[in-house]
Amino acid sequence: MAMAALRREGRRFLLPTASSAPTIAARSAISNEESCLFGVRSISTQIVRNRMKSVKNIQKITKAMKMVAASKLRGVQIRTEASRGVWQPFIALLGDSPSIDVKKNVIVTVSSDKGLCGGINSTSVKVSKALFKVYSGPEKEPKYVILGEKGKAQLVRDSKDHIMLSVSELQKNPVNYTQVSVLADDILKNVEFDALRVVYNKFRSIVLFIPTVSTILSPETIEKESEAGGSLGDLDLYEIEGGETKSEVLQNLTEFQFSCVMFNAVLENACSELGARMSAMDSSSRNAGEMLDRLTLAYNRTRQASITTELIEIISGASALEG
Amino acid sequence: MTLNLCVLTPNRMIWDSEVKEIILSTNSGQIGVLPNHAPIATAVDIGLLRIRRNCQWLTVALMGGFARISNNEITILGNDAEISTDIDPQEAKQTLEIAEANLSRAEGKRQAIESNLALR
Repeated sequence: MAMAALRREGRRFLLPTASSAPTIAARSAISNEESCLFGVRSISTQIVRNRMKSVKNIQKITKAMKMVAASKLRGVQIRTEASRGVWQPFIALLGDSPSIDVKKNVIVTVSSDKGLCGGINSTSVKVSKALFKVYSGPEKEPKYVILGEKGKAQLVRDSKDHIMLSVSELQKNPVNYTQVSVLADDILKNVEFDALRVVYNKFRSIVLFIPTVSTILSPETIEKESEAGGSLGDLDLYEIEGGETKSEVLQNLTEFQFSCVMFNAVLENACSELGARMSAMDSSSRNAGEMLDRLTLAYNRTRQASITTELIEIISGASALEG
Repeated sequence: MTLNLCVLTPNRMIWDSEVKEIILSTNSGQIGVLPNHAPIATAVDIGLLRIRRNCQWLTVALMGGFARISNNEITILGNDAEISTDIDPQEAKQTLEIAEANLSRAEGKRQAIESNLALR
């Protein structure tokens, strides 16, 4: 009882501006003093309040990021669907042979520059590494061309010598075809290849992204295949107009095909990145909301417990003084 | 007998319907394609693509690409294309003058084409 009275006196000294109802005035500062004067008896409400503030901030930020991603997604989705039709005639003409076995493979990995977009970059890198293993053999060694910072960061760790070219900051301005065709030109100039495998995340819906590999064969490979027969053998049915030889036409065709496929791949990956970021930010803001609920409960419990303790002390002190 | 024409660019699909005849310009001159043409694959120069539908000619400015003709199905893939009705003549004239001032051959060709369309 004496201790309770002493504590009350101590509180009065610390609060010179306390009103005539010290209990009410002291309530808000109880937690502070409790933690400074007597050590932490339970989780101090101040600490809980700080955590609540930071969690609320995180919730706001992630919600804003989700809305930004959603609004950007709408625009990119339209362009992606418009660009999907472009590479189909190439497949109709040249056929698609993903299982072709050639010596020089180049794996073009399309990834994003910014993070917080879920697992799409990891899946792209995983697929690229798997392709690398598949195409490695006694004479052949695949090489990488990487678009995007995140892919580069992951692949540099273990495949540093195999990276031929890496490009970043692709998404600074909205992606347009001229930019991609210049990039495609660059790659074609610097890299020797028999087959190009473009690895990207295809956008199926806001929650579904499928890692895809598109194969583009070099003109020499196509000529070899068309002579061998098979689906590419039908190429000879076409006469060539315009006074060009067949190999020139094939070269132009493959360059054009590569830039179309790259354009589509970059757009699809951008769509997938925005969609993945949307769902990642959505689940993180929901998480933050749940955390906030739990913290609020803890805060209220602590607050009520300290009020109860205060009341008990006062009442027992008063009753001790009386009798 | 009609041809199924499909004009595509990386940005969007320009044309997808049936026509009677088309005229496109390759690097060895203009070729006209009527139904039941032999299958050909050819490169298309920067130039005009003319489409005839029921005695009415439509023009499309095409910035180079590829054309594939087989079995009355024509697929034209271009780097960029614009239908003549979508081109604004004033703007085209101004850009033509600018381009002529620059003496840049490729651009000049493009603006010449666009202003040709506008004149039509």
